[in-house]
Amino acid sequence: MTNTNGARRVVVTGMGAVTPIGHTVEDFWAGMKRGQSGVSELGGFPLDDLKILIAAQIKDFDHRARLRGAKRDKIIMHADRYSWFAAAAADEAVRQSGLEVPFADPYRAACIIGSGAGGLTTYEVAYRDLFIHNKRATHPLTLLRIIGSSASAHVGIEYGVKGPTFATCSACSTATHAIGIARDYIRNNVVDVAIAGAAEAVINYGTMKAWQALHVLSPEGCFPFAKKRNGTVLGEGAGILVLEDLEHARKRGATILAELIGYGMTSDSKDMVNPDVEGPREAMRMALDDARIGPADIDYLNAHGTATTINDRNETNAIKELFGQHAYRLPISSTKSMHGHPLGAGGGIEAVACIKAINEGWVPPTIGLDEPDPDCDLDYVPNVGRDLKVRRAMSNSFAFGGLNAVLVFSEPPA
Amino acid sequence: MDEVAAKIIEILKKHMKEPRDDINLSTALTDLKIESLDLAMIVFDIEDTFGIEIPYNANEEAADFKTVGSVVERVKALMTNAGAGGAAASAKAS
Repeated sequence: MTNTNGARRVVVTGMGAVTPIGHTVEDFWAGMKRGQSGVSELGGFPLDDLKILIAAQIKDFDHRARLRGAKRDKIIMHADRYSWFAAAAADEAVRQSGLEVPFADPYRAACIIGSGAGGLTTYEVAYRDLFIHNKRATHPLTLLRIIGSSASAHVGIEYGVKGPTFATCSACSTATHAIGIARDYIRNNVVDVAIAGAAEAVINYGTMKAWQALHVLSPEGCFPFAKKRNGTVLGEGAGILVLEDLEHARKRGATILAELIGYGMTSDSKDMVNPDVEGPREAMRMALDDARIGPADIDYLNAHGTATTINDRNETNAIKELFGQHAYRLPISSTKSMHGHPLGAGGGIEAVACIKAINEGWVPPTIGLDEPDPDCDLDYVPNVGRDLKVRRAMSNSFAFGGLNAVLVFSEPPA
Repeated sequence: MDEVAAKIIEILKKHMKEPRDDINLSTALTDLKIESLDLAMIVFDIEDTFGIEIPYNANEEAADFKTVGSVVERVKALMTNAGAGGAAASAKAS
């Protein structure tokens, strides 16, 4: 089936998430229902002189247990942590989709799994070995662990994907771009199915130092839109969807979770760290235009909501400019208040949150929002989630460099 | 079988998906189903264990690595060249 434009319609038939508040979609959703914070004391490596001592780390992820079902990918156990997260989320998504793997028509499948930074922790370990411990060589798998396309390659090998397979890289918009590109490949008849999203695992000493030097991390917690907010909190994880041509999904009797009806992307082309109102606003507008709906048709908005002073104010202003009066009626939340900021993986995890909101009729809260910033005066669903019929949900991703990407999901087609 | 050979066989077994107990000096490496990535890891482990550096390029046919025995001979030759350094590394490895 095609829309009035003659383009094919794209639906979601599987999703997977690995987050600090749940290692599967169900556990992640249950964590959000409880309003659970995934922020905890930083650990797992020597903290030395670090000043920021919190993060939203995934502390009890057993990759050996979770990935032992891998059939074709022989070295996933030796991969970087970010590839483990990708493989686990992809496994959950592909299982839910019910697609037969390896794919019968492998050139009609895509695997687009991005990462903001790839295997940075592998880099750190290798460089410590070389420069501090004077080791004569890095481990032979170092390079394969590091490269930012290794998660997509690992997952592509596991499921026998022979079509477009690569990573996207756009900092905090990485997953959203991956999902958007995959949507377009299906819509334009390049492929019929796609595994798309992103994974991130960069919490280590060097990355913490780099973020600390940028002075955008909070020492206390992630409190989007709150008066007390004083920075974001680094997170990690993966969010991955299985996208499919509507007819392809219907033919095999798949359960359709949602339709991906809109995708917009812009670049501020202005500043590396100071976002513009125009770029995010236009990305949201493009996504609505692409979906052929108006602002009032959106029932829930999952904000980028990083809890930095500048993002939350700027995003609020961009939403007001586009949504007009509907901005004040629209439930908006930042789930980063619970799962932290998983950088490139954020848009994937938040896409899962949007689809679950549609499926479950409940919108997740922004926790830690005791007193809002006077400049942030919209309905951010403070502290407690809300029962709500969600027909269409928007997910915002606005990255460093002014790289903006927005997705719009709707309930499954009738 | 001497200590060097025993250690090398131990390393080979560590990197095999299905380790076998019948490996001897005349066993051909091709019979062990060692793939290129496994070979890179085996070379790394052998270098670490014996404190040597094995000139090896994954792009070339490795004539020195036809059989387990040929690997053992090559390692022993490199250890002799490495001299005291090799001895020190052996001590470290044990």
